[in-house]
Amino acid sequence: MLQATNITKRFGDKIALDNINLDIKPGTITSIIGPSGSGKTTLLRTLGMLELADTGTIALDKELYQFPLATVEGRAPWPKLTIVFQQLFIWPHLTLRGNILLPLGGNMSADQQKQFNELVELFSMEEFIDRYPNEVSLGQRQRTAIIRALMLNPEYLFLDEVTSSLDVEQTSIILSHLGDIKKRGVAVVVVTHLLNFAKSVSDQVIFLEHGKIVVSGDRTILENSSNERLREFTSLIKQAS
Amino acid sequence: MVTAVFTIISQYREGLLQGLLVTLALCLIVWVCGLTIGTLLGSLSAQYPNEVGKPSKALSFTLSGIPILVLLFWLHYPLQEMLGVVINPFFTAAFALSLVNIFAVTDIVRTALVEFPSQYIAAGKVSGLSNQEIFKKIQFPIIFRQIIPAILTTQVNMLQLTLFASLISVEEIFRVTQRINASIYKPVEIYTALAIFFLIICLPLNGLALYLKRKYTRNLSEK
Repeated sequence: MLQATNITKRFGDKIALDNINLDIKPGTITSIIGPSGSGKTTLLRTLGMLELADTGTIALDKELYQFPLATVEGRAPWPKLTIVFQQLFIWPHLTLRGNILLPLGGNMSADQQKQFNELVELFSMEEFIDRYPNEVSLGQRQRTAIIRALMLNPEYLFLDEVTSSLDVEQTSIILSHLGDIKKRGVAVVVVTHLLNFAKSVSDQVIFLEHGKIVVSGDRTILENSSNERLREFTSLIKQAS
Repeated sequence: MVTAVFTIISQYREGLLQGLLVTLALCLIVWVCGLTIGTLLGSLSAQYPNEVGKPSKALSFTLSGIPILVLLFWLHYPLQEMLGVVINPFFTAAFALSLVNIFAVTDIVRTALVEFPSQYIAAGKVSGLSNQEIFKKIQFPIIFRQIIPAILTTQVNMLQLTLFASLISVEEIFRVTQRINASIYKPVEIYTALAIFFLIICLPLNGLALYLKRKYTRNLSEK
């Protein structure tokens, strides 16, 4: 379980995260929603310890990180916890296959090979798996980033707007796959603008604004929230889509 | 004319070879100094932007405002007169050209390191790669591929700049060619031979730089 307590993060004078408290349980999907600039990505990166919080604590299973902390070197949580970024950052000097294999040390066990084949087939990537990132579309790179993360078999999987360049079919494949990996006990945290996505898969929804958790709860808060700001936000998203 | 060119090359081969060896020796010094010191200085500039980066940028900027010929002459005549020393023009030329090459390579390396997208490193970290693995398998190959075409083009330019050494009496290939021409006066054949020599060396290197640029350099912005 990941437990964040009183997490605060500043960039200069700007408070990016303000006293965040939340729990991420194994085998659950948490959706983080909120307007642009509300701190969603910063929250994800801070929980993933790519950004180090200024104050607060993060307890990740048996490991306790007490901030401020100069570095997490030596007890970094990766790849047990891994992140797929909004900007994908597929390494450009490797083919898509190379990108997926590099973190595995270049060689795959029989099980990993099986998992690789299944994921490549699931995400319909057979045709372009040996192409370089600059030879494929953004959506295809996005799928590669997701497979790269899934091949690590993380216990905590953080996804930052990973469906932004995917079509409806691919989004639905990811939704269904997230359901599968959740069943395996993986804790999934998703930053998303897709309300339907959040409604259909989330066990926990967090609405963030100005770096603060305005409201959190199960997925029903997206339909029947007493919080006016969340109602306003969801109605705007509905209108936009 | 082709026959005449090859006749002259054959007739004066010893002198031309001597000049060629001086040119290549000069070039080798300039390349080795530029690539090693420039790479080191570029890396240090990126790592210590205030302590090394700013002074190196300032020096590079100042140097870019001085024509290479002026630098060469200044080092050869006024400086040596002021210091009361006489230095072999070969070493003066090697020093001046190396200085130019060092700062050219420094700029290329520093820019590539400073502009390297940190997200590639972040992607490596969250994939469980160690800092060493990230450097070896991600950072170095990407940066190497990004900079190699520019480095190659710069080295070809440096080879061409070695011709200026003839103006301070370095007996390199251009000066030897001039002297042969002064004695037999066949400028068309002699300078054609020289042009062919440079084409043979420079064109493949430029072609290689172009090929590597097309094959390996990528838009790192992911747009």
